Amino acid sequence: MNRTITMNLNGIIFHIEEDAYDKLNKYLSTIKGYFKDSEGRDEIMSDIEARIAEMLSEKVSSTKQAVLLTDVESVIGIMGKPEDFADDSERKGSSEKSESSSEKNRASYPNSKRRRVFRDTDDKILGGVCAGVANYFDFDPLWLRAAFAISFFVFGSGFLLYIILWIIIPSAKTTAEKLEMRGEKVDVNNIGKAVNEEFEDFKKKMKDFGHEVNSKENKEKLKTSAQKATEFIGDVFHNMIHVFGKIVAFFLLFIGIVLMIALLATIFGSGTISVFNTSTSTIHYSLYEFCSTVLPGSLPIILVVIALVLFIGIPLSAMIYFGIRHLFGIKQKNKIVKYFFNSLWLIGLCMMIYIGIKIGNDFSEEATVREKIEITQPSTNLLSLDLKALPDDDIDATYYHHRKHKIDLGDWAVILKDENSFRLGYPSMSIQPSETDSFQLIAVKNSNGRNKKEATSYANNIDYTITQKDSVITFNNYFDIKSNDKLRAQDLKLILRVPVGKTIFLSKRMEKIIYNIENVSNTLDGDMVNRRWKMTKQGLECVDCDGLEIKHKHKTGAY
Amino acid sequence: MNIENTKAQMKKGVLEFCILSVLSSGDQYPSEIIEKLKDAKLIVVEGTLYPLLMRLKNDGLLSYRWEESLSGPPRKYYKLTPVGKQYLKELKTSWNELVEAVNKTIEKK
Repeated sequence: MNRTITMNLNGIIFHIEEDAYDKLNKYLSTIKGYFKDSEGRDEIMSDIEARIAEMLSEKVSSTKQAVLLTDVESVIGIMGKPEDFADDSERKGSSEKSESSSEKNRASYPNSKRRRVFRDTDDKILGGVCAGVANYFDFDPLWLRAAFAISFFVFGSGFLLYIILWIIIPSAKTTAEKLEMRGEKVDVNNIGKAVNEEFEDFKKKMKDFGHEVNSKENKEKLKTSAQKATEFIGDVFHNMIHVFGKIVAFFLLFIGIVLMIALLATIFGSGTISVFNTSTSTIHYSLYEFCSTVLPGSLPIILVVIALVLFIGIPLSAMIYFGIRHLFGIKQKNKIVKYFFNSLWLIGLCMMIYIGIKIGNDFSEEATVREKIEITQPSTNLLSLDLKALPDDDIDATYYHHRKHKIDLGDWAVILKDENSFRLGYPSMSIQPSETDSFQLIAVKNSNGRNKKEATSYANNIDYTITQKDSVITFNNYFDIKSNDKLRAQDLKLILRVPVGKTIFLSKRMEKIIYNIENVSNTLDGDMVNRRWKMTKQGLECVDCDGLEIKHKHKTGAY
Repeated sequence: MNIENTKAQMKKGVLEFCILSVLSSGDQYPSEIIEKLKDAKLIVVEGTLYPLLMRLKNDGLLSYRWEESLSGPPRKYYKLTPVGKQYLKELKTSWNELVEAVNKTIEKK
């Protein structure tokens, strides 16, 4: 149900629906505005009104009494837009007045002659993208084509960009669009000119406004001028936002393209994921290597690649898309493309979640395997503990070669040692009193897995060796796992059992692996190295800490 | 340079001539004139006509009279003034010359 208004148009009474009335009213007042400066405006208006009345009266009958919005729209369609016919009278008018008003018309549409970017389908090789963009910037499309052709081979990034451009840049279909494509060059001068034009127009409007205020015009007219003035202030703001928007769009586009190349390089090229190890060095690790070690065997790597392309690539494409659209002022919207990409992104998201769950599932069970590492008892009561020199020092050629395949995250490192095994670091070591009178070294191997059996098997596959020379045990920085084993949070803890009355020496390097070793003086791990420690009934007691002891005690007290 | 503009200008030039020609066969009111021009595809939107009629009237080429209509309010019937008739005659001559000249130019190509 709709409310109707009774309207008198050229002496005929119409019942017209409210929205239809608004539309018609707006239409008529726009026309009125266009003929403002023409002589005989009222007469033209009454002619137009008469014609509209005639057409509307054909639309109503005794069964359909009200004028609907669609009726008004069809009438407006027949009559045409004000600008279609207002131009005629104003430009052809011989008076000075109409000349100035036609100029005003032009000024209020400063963009009408400005150049816009279109695909030049008359000069195309693929989609006319290069020709169109070259037209826009005024250079030979050959260069752009060459650049694109080359970039096709850079992980296909150019290809993707080309497709995006193809989708978003409309082709120049009508002759008018073709002319617009080669229209006035867009440069700083032009932008300045446009702003200037707007400003002149604004000044003029203000002058008119003042004029109209001064003349004893009625309130309604005053209102419309005030509206125009506010509209114009709005326009100025709009322009400022516009310029700002272009800058943002440029950055959006730039960042989008850079990230897109990075993504494509990671996926299709030999590019690597860089992990910032320290502030000065980075470690590179290829996506495929990473996937093969983490992904459950049932998930193909291609799935991850697709998920990544969809999940990350689509937002990046969107960045490029909006950047280009805004930069070149392309107004055309493509809803289908939008929904298509939105749903693709959602698919990507679902795939990511699925992969996440699959991987998470592989960590659901935990298993621990304890194993005794054989050591020979030292001939004296002293056992020296040392850590193999750092990998950087123990450059064996193979290791060095594979150095790039290393991820180091704090205390945890992964190295692709050779075809058969991985190395993970570091183990952690604790010291406990021994119940027997001999030293014992126990390896506690820990792993996660999809089920208990798998976790146990992964734990068993952890391989750790030490070397012993007389009373010196040298620990390894890394423990190895089989290369076809997945990374499932494998971890190695070493427990050294020291019999009461026997002494151990911790080398400086041991600092890396000892973890929370309890001792009588509550000395911190870092301060325990380079000293001898004797196991007493109370626990480890420092043998050669004289002079330092007080300091440590003091330190402990402070805690 | 705007081709739509050029096209419009071309049409507009002859539009006056056509209106006058249409009216030469008798007095008519705007809807009838529109009908004929639309048939000839000379105008697309009706709004174009009114300002033109107004100008022709102001220039003294046309005049109008009100006539009662059976189906509604009185209608405005336009007719050619003697000046208009003279004007039309001259336009006709120059149109024929123009057509000939233009055709010649085009065919020479």
